[in-house]
Amino acid sequence: MSLSRSPSPVPGGGWASPGLTNNLSPSGRSSPTKAYAGGSNGTPVMWERQKNMGGPAYQSFSTQNQGFFSRHMRQISSSLPRFRPENTHGAEREKIGESRWSGLNMPRLGRIRSLPGRMSRRTKMLIAFGLLFLLGYIIFYSTPLVYYYRRTAWLGGGQKFVIILAANVGGGVMEWKGAREWAIERDSIRNKKKYVAKWGYDLEIVDMSTKKRYAHEWRESWEKVDFIRSTLRKYPKAEWVWWLDLNTFIMEPSKSLQDHIFDHLEDVTYRNINEYNPLNISHPPADSYLDELSKSPIGDGNPNSIHLMLSQDCSGFNLGSFFMRRGTWTDHLLDVWWDPVAYEQKHMEWEHKEQDALEQLYIAQPWIRKSTAFLPQRMINSFPTGACSEKGTDTRIHYDQKDRDFLVNMAGCEWGRDCWGEMYNFRELSYHLNRSLWERFKEDLLCWVWFKLTGKKVKF
Amino acid sequence: MHFAYPPRKSSNPPPFRPRTSALPTIRSRRLKTIALAFLAFLTLVWLFQRGGSRRHAPPAYHKPSGNPPAVIVTVFNEGKYGKGYLDMVKENRLKYAEKHGYGTFFVKASDYDLRGAPISWASLPAVRHAMAMFPDASYIWYLDQNSFIMNPNLKIEEHVMKPSRLEELMIKDHPVVPPDSIIKTFSHLKGHDVDFVLTQDKDGLSSSSFVVKNGEWAKFFIETWFDPIYRSYNFQKAEQHALEHIVQWHPTILAKLALVPQRILNSYSKEKGGQEYKEGDLVVRLYACGEAGEDTCETESQRFAQWKAAFQNS
Repeated sequence: MSLSRSPSPVPGGGWASPGLTNNLSPSGRSSPTKAYAGGSNGTPVMWERQKNMGGPAYQSFSTQNQGFFSRHMRQISSSLPRFRPENTHGAEREKIGESRWSGLNMPRLGRIRSLPGRMSRRTKMLIAFGLLFLLGYIIFYSTPLVYYYRRTAWLGGGQKFVIILAANVGGGVMEWKGAREWAIERDSIRNKKKYVAKWGYDLEIVDMSTKKRYAHEWRESWEKVDFIRSTLRKYPKAEWVWWLDLNTFIMEPSKSLQDHIFDHLEDVTYRNINEYNPLNISHPPADSYLDELSKSPIGDGNPNSIHLMLSQDCSGFNLGSFFMRRGTWTDHLLDVWWDPVAYEQKHMEWEHKEQDALEQLYIAQPWIRKSTAFLPQRMINSFPTGACSEKGTDTRIHYDQKDRDFLVNMAGCEWGRDCWGEMYNFRELSYHLNRSLWERFKEDLLCWVWFKLTGKKVKF
Repeated sequence: MHFAYPPRKSSNPPPFRPRTSALPTIRSRRLKTIALAFLAFLTLVWLFQRGGSRRHAPPAYHKPSGNPPAVIVTVFNEGKYGKGYLDMVKENRLKYAEKHGYGTFFVKASDYDLRGAPISWASLPAVRHAMAMFPDASYIWYLDQNSFIMNPNLKIEEHVMKPSRLEELMIKDHPVVPPDSIIKTFSHLKGHDVDFVLTQDKDGLSSSSFVVKNGEWAKFFIETWFDPIYRSYNFQKAEQHALEHIVQWHPTILAKLALVPQRILNSYSKEKGGQEYKEGDLVVRLYACGEAGEDTCETESQRFAQWKAAFQNS
């Protein structure tokens, strides 16, 4: 023993080094006074630790709480099976400490209750961060707040896109609008609203009822053009406008437009109509008086100059689902799309009105080709197997469940097919394909198990 | 010291070692936490960047550099006029262009396929062709074959197309097609926004002398005007009536149009059709010369032969 009492907590006052005994004089006297032999010289006693004043300020001796086993030995050893003789029962077991009320087991509850107190601050902070992260995830990924933050320009860019949905086609003026028509409209609108709420876009539902200003003999069916113009004015932040007919259904709402098309425009669009040319338009325009850019089959190849993106079906351009971008080119196109001289000469011939007018403009005026791009039809405009089916099922045109096509356009369902039936079937198919994990677990596992056990089909 | 007991220390020792420096010492554990938090922040910022960092810049179309400053387009109708006369017209253009460093573009009307439309339509593919051949020219001036440039001292880019000059010359709020069209020219058009300058004569818009500013709008305009659907409509005065039609029905064309007084660009030889030529005007047009007979244009042109002298003296 080189110190007369246990070390004090002041640094430098403890068992700093084993060399304290070295202070004894060589004569070997072990009386306590000899320990302070160095002090008798007049210099203050300097334990070795005090020489390193710049080092860490905490003790270097080992406390009782270091090491996993020294902390938890008691807990671990008490939970291991204990040896006991065969004939112990009742009170004797109580003595060994095995019953519920024995002292060793009770503190489990107390241990749990005292857990927060025993946690270090670091552990508490980690748990707090974890909870905060979980809360942030819940708030920002699965509640309606998703709409607001996905809209902003720097987070998702959703405000650049506006979906125009043509609703109330005809308005019940020429044909009766019964329960089926109302149901189709409800489903279509609900589908677009959910999509827009999920990704932060804007939705503009326009009324396509038969209006006098679009009566036959006067620009009938050119409402699209006016609606696009007014929508571009109404949403000043919008860059792209997506026109959708009523009989459409977004089958994969988990795909955003940015992911599906706009983040890689140059990969998904094609400008050279010769890739798929149902109208047999001669491309590029071969007139001798045109400049090089107008004669090039792909324009300038720059995705930023694309102002109109559409798809073609088996008989030409299809304007059931197409995109237009804000710009001077678009202003010019929307202006010249309808012309009374053209309308007067051609409207009886043009069965699809503004669609045929666009085809005529595309053929006759090379400046239109410079900013028009085409998308593969199944990317934005898949048809059900009833439409365009003269040559059977075409992999370029018809909806394919395996490929999970983005949008289905039940074009021409008013003529000869069942619009409501198609809409209902596609809606149910979309729900089925996009079930959440929990639903899949219920339906694919639990219901199947129940069916195997009882032979009854049930829906949880 | 020689005491029996160690020197008395206080019963309440200070809990911490006295500070060694003024700055707080960062324990390595806290440093780790700070570094982790910073990394987490960076991750969040990166995650959210995926949305809007891609700015879709508008396409940069080729801007004409101004070399040559103007191109004069003339379409020769070789079927109807004698070679001597047409050579004289060509010489007139060449001399004027040489003086000011302009380009010239001569084509025959038969070069273009007009799908059976009247031959005056050939002016449009000619202008479009000139835009393709001279992509750097600032202005394209179409001048009718039966016109002569009389005053060599006037430059197109100053006399007509300079924005300040246009703002003073522009006829504002005037019916686009006289006498009583309800569509009127714009009153608040800025000079640099004007892409198409032309004149009116007594009957309507005169498409015999007009200037377009080379660019994307001009291509759109000429191609719209040249749409076959206007030719098939069989307007009475061919491209002139078609022009009057599109200018009234399509505001994106009207928005770039400026009317200037006729004598700036298009004085007539007779008072019957429009404002008559006076000494010092840029151009004289032999109004309706070909209609009276084939050689009336040649005889009429003798009246204005002073351009040869004027070009020689300048």
